[in-house]
Amino acid sequence: MTATNGAPGTERVERSGAPLVRVRGVWKIFGPHPERLRGSDDLDLPRGELLAKTGCTIASRDITFDVGRGEVFVIMGLSGSGKSTLVRCITRLVEPTAGDISIGGQDVLGADARTLRELRRTKIAMVFQHFGLFPHRTAIDNVAYGLEVQGVARATRHQRAREILGVVGLSGVENAYPDQLSGGMQQRVGLARALAVDPEVLIFDEAFSALDPLIRREMQDEVLRLQERLQKSVLFVTHDLDEALKIGDRIAIMKDGRFVQVGTPAEIVGAPADDYVREFVRDVPRGKVLTASFAVQPHAGEAPESTVRHDARLGELLPVVFGVQGPIGVVGADDELVGILDRRMVVHILAGREGGTVPEEPAGTPGAA
Amino acid sequence: MSSAAGSVAPLGGIRLRVAGRYTTSLAAGVLVCVAGVAASGFHTGFPRRWVLGAGAPNWFDRLDSWVTNNQSSNFFLHTIVGGFSNFLNGTTNDVVSALHWLTWVGVLVIATLLAWLVGRWRTAAFSALMVASFGVLQIPNGGPNGIADMWSSAMTTLALMAVAIVISTIVGIPLGVAAAVWTPVSKTLRPVLDMMQILPAFAYLVPIVVLFSIGNPAGIVATVIYAVPPLVRFTEVGIRTVRRDVIEAAESFGATRRQVLRDVQLPLAAQAILLGLNQVIMMALSIVVIASLVGAGGLGDPVLQALQTQQIGMGAVAGVLIVFMAMWLDRTSGAVGRSRGRAAVAAGRRRLGRRELLAVWAGVLAVVLVSHYGLGLGDWPAGWGFSVVDQVTNGLNWVTTQLAGVSASLSSFLTLQVLNPLQRFLGDFPWWLLAGIVAAAGWLRGGPRRALLLAGCVALLGLMQAPAGYTFQGTTSYDFTAWGDAMQTLSLVIVALALDLVIGIPLGIAAYRWRAVDQALRPILDLLQTLPAFVYLIPVVALFGVGNLAGVTASLVYALPAAVRATTLGLRAVQRDVIEAGQAFGSTRWQLLRKVELPIARPYIGLAVNQTILLVMAEVVVAGLVGAGGLGLDVVTGFSRSEVGLGAAAGLAMVLMGIVLDRLSQSNQTIGGRRE
Ligand SMILES: Nc1ncnc2c1ncn2[C@@H]1O[C@H](COP(=O)(O)OP(=O)(O)OP(=O)(O)O)[C@@H](O)[C@H]1O
Ligand SMILES: [Mg+2]
Repeated sequence: MTATNGAPGTERVERSGAPLVRVRGVWKIFGPHPERLRGSDDLDLPRGELLAKTGCTIASRDITFDVGRGEVFVIMGLSGSGKSTLVRCITRLVEPTAGDISIGGQDVLGADARTLRELRRTKIAMVFQHFGLFPHRTAIDNVAYGLEVQGVARATRHQRAREILGVVGLSGVENAYPDQLSGGMQQRVGLARALAVDPEVLIFDEAFSALDPLIRREMQDEVLRLQERLQKSVLFVTHDLDEALKIGDRIAIMKDGRFVQVGTPAEIVGAPADDYVREFVRDVPRGKVLTASFAVQPHAGEAPESTVRHDARLGELLPVVFGVQGPIGVVGADDELVGILDRRMVVHILAGREGGTVPEEPAGTPGAA
Repeated sequence: MSSAAGSVAPLGGIRLRVAGRYTTSLAAGVLVCVAGVAASGFHTGFPRRWVLGAGAPNWFDRLDSWVTNNQSSNFFLHTIVGGFSNFLNGTTNDVVSALHWLTWVGVLVIATLLAWLVGRWRTAAFSALMVASFGVLQIPNGGPNGIADMWSSAMTTLALMAVAIVISTIVGIPLGVAAAVWTPVSKTLRPVLDMMQILPAFAYLVPIVVLFSIGNPAGIVATVIYAVPPLVRFTEVGIRTVRRDVIEAAESFGATRRQVLRDVQLPLAAQAILLGLNQVIMMALSIVVIASLVGAGGLGDPVLQALQTQQIGMGAVAGVLIVFMAMWLDRTSGAVGRSRGRAAVAAGRRRLGRRELLAVWAGVLAVVLVSHYGLGLGDWPAGWGFSVVDQVTNGLNWVTTQLAGVSASLSSFLTLQVLNPLQRFLGDFPWWLLAGIVAAAGWLRGGPRRALLLAGCVALLGLMQAPAGYTFQGTTSYDFTAWGDAMQTLSLVIVALALDLVIGIPLGIAAYRWRAVDQALRPILDLLQTLPAFVYLIPVVALFGVGNLAGVTASLVYALPAAVRATTLGLRAVQRDVIEAGQAFGSTRWQLLRKVELPIARPYIGLAVNQTILLVMAEVVVAGLVGAGGLGLDVVTGFSRSEVGLGAAAGLAMVLMGIVLDRLSQSNQTIGGRRE
């Protein structure tokens, strides 16, 4: 009766081969003598007490995850939950306390200064919350910076920078300084700067938080559009659930340095792991996130009068649900019948009740089918 | 929830601290009164018999003789100090010759052109005017060899400034960068810079003269020591305050540390560094007269002479010329800082292309060559100018006679009713009691370590004295009691400081409250703050003659802008929403000021007190030049009689006194509970 994580609808985005970014058991402890905390009971103290007792803050606790090629992995959580720290650990802008990280098979934590620099120059690029643009350089010189530190000749890097500025829709402002551009344009420059080095991994740290809602939506669309073409591995930090649901292939919900749940948007919304996540997703318009696979019941052999795809959004199914009299079949990726759509559950879910589970059927209510 | 808690805590902290301060000052007040009553029976001061060995002045005399005797044989003295001294001398002479070679036309054209390149037409016109004034405003017998026009003196001063500024830059910027990059360097430098900024320049003149002997090199070294700290500070702060995420962005692209410094930190700190350089120029010009005391030539000389012989008109004109030079260099260097603004660069405000620039400089060279070889020009033509010394003297005399009634009664009141009794009281005050009070106050401010430091300084200060009847190197006997002289200096500092706070804080509040007051005060304060310390001495001497009162008045005026400004700034720093919260509860303006704004601004006002004390002390000491008694007069006397021991011991006493005053007026608490 319940659609759980294992349900056929969980659209896990498994791309080809090994994951590009591989993070295993990463810890980051700020403060004096983090090594003393290893294995001690203090690790379980609430953060305030821990800080008072040891002067330490644990920003990442035993974080493990993979990001595949072409996948958008969103890290979400409230302010102070450790998102920025975690993504900075991946390029060692913040030095992790313990763990293993590799990018494209290259060990990051064991890398010496030169290898690390090489990695930062060619494999990973970052887009920052407050843009992090160099105020004393023109847009084009900002975009060319990554190539400049690699030692690329001026003419070549300018040509490349001009191209990329075109890609993000900023032709014509090459020679403007950042403070002459609007916030949205500045972040496009930031995006272009990251793309210019043609990295394999792109990291966005709350890149759009400082923008107003309209521009923000525009930038999200921009990222989706570029992602369609470029197929980078993206780590996207945000505290905005709508943003996470919109662009994430998978979402990790972070709290106090820990991942409380990792899953597809539908899994997060449809089957929150605990109250913290439930609180997060409470106001999400479910019809736009949950798919038909969340309202499937086993079919008893009857011939469906009509069929819907397993990944169709529930919100879009209403015309079918109310327009068709007979059973509605749900078909999987290969058009095989996986079950019958449970009309009552659709209504329940859309009415804002619990996502994945249906309350016990009150006696005397006529069955749906 | 957490943000509410966060903003309440510091407010509560301030309230507690304020309450703490009231009790502290109350306790201190009571203690002083009790002590005073007790002291009136003691008449002790510091015991005259307590002398360190043969007396501190004797050490310095011996050190001086040692240096004199070993000048040619000791490697350090001969090769390093001597070599450096020769280098400074040679360079200065070269620059002076170069300026003369350029001829007056060349200097004028170059100054104007530079100002035009970095600034606006107005800057250029202003520069031309200022430079011309060096020739036009003349002083009979004011220049070297009795010439009347000051052109040659001005060129000497300019050369000295140029050398001092270049050396300050070579020393200051790398130090600042090092301090910004390596925290240990910063930690080591900080107390040294603090110290250098507390010290009145008088304190280190004598050691410099011992090493470099009287002359231009000594003047340059004194200037560099005085002027370099702000440059180091500005550079360090400029680099350190570059936004973290911008640096991180560079790092995230794999920039090396060096690349980050070169591509991001230094360019972004350029503005701050230029500001620091501007400060260096201003500080260097403000010490011109003091540098003349150690033998640097130029425009400082006539001022020094005038102060010592009370030729007020001559002092005023020469002083004005120094101020003009300061204004010229300030405007020009300030314009460089502004034109480096990104917006300006972006707006394409670069006047000339590379080729045009080259052409212009070629033109300048041609003009110089023609002036020099073709027309045989040199310094400013003597006939092209006039002396206004008599007019200025007459004018000042007229003002003085008009004010004679007021100034005389003010003078006698302050001298007889305030200064003399205070001086007597402090002089008789038992040293151990003062040490105890200072230690107690130090403890409250900064804990036991500060208490120990301060009490130690007080005791050591007394020990700087010469044994009774000590015959100095120069064979004069001069009864040097460091304690008595320090107390005399202290009494002047106290009176000037009290007046400053009584006048300055209300003025600061008024400027905060009423726009009109602010606008009226601003140009005056701006002007007062750009005037070098010695300038104040000139009118004050005209008004009150030489002596203590002149010193008090000059110090009062000199430090007043700081008291006013810091108060206003502190009040302005109160956050808008806090004030609005106060208003939302229906507070009256007065309530708002008393209950919200002043308490929050209190740490800043504390800072104002600290600043004012240091400025007052610096000026009181310099006022030794116009006969204000105490340690400053000792240094001046030491110089006029070439008595190194006296000057050095008095200088050291000044150092100790400076430390005590600074540490007493500075609490460990930092503004807003934050440490930068
Ligand atoms: N350099 C540091 N030193 C000490 N503690 C730090 C440091 N940087 C971060 N922290 C702490 O680590 C925790 C996680 O911080 P982090 O910046 O990663 O959070 P965040 O999720 O990115 O928050 P936000 O949404 O506000 O950006 C916080 O409690 C923070 O106080
Ligand atoms: Mg963050």
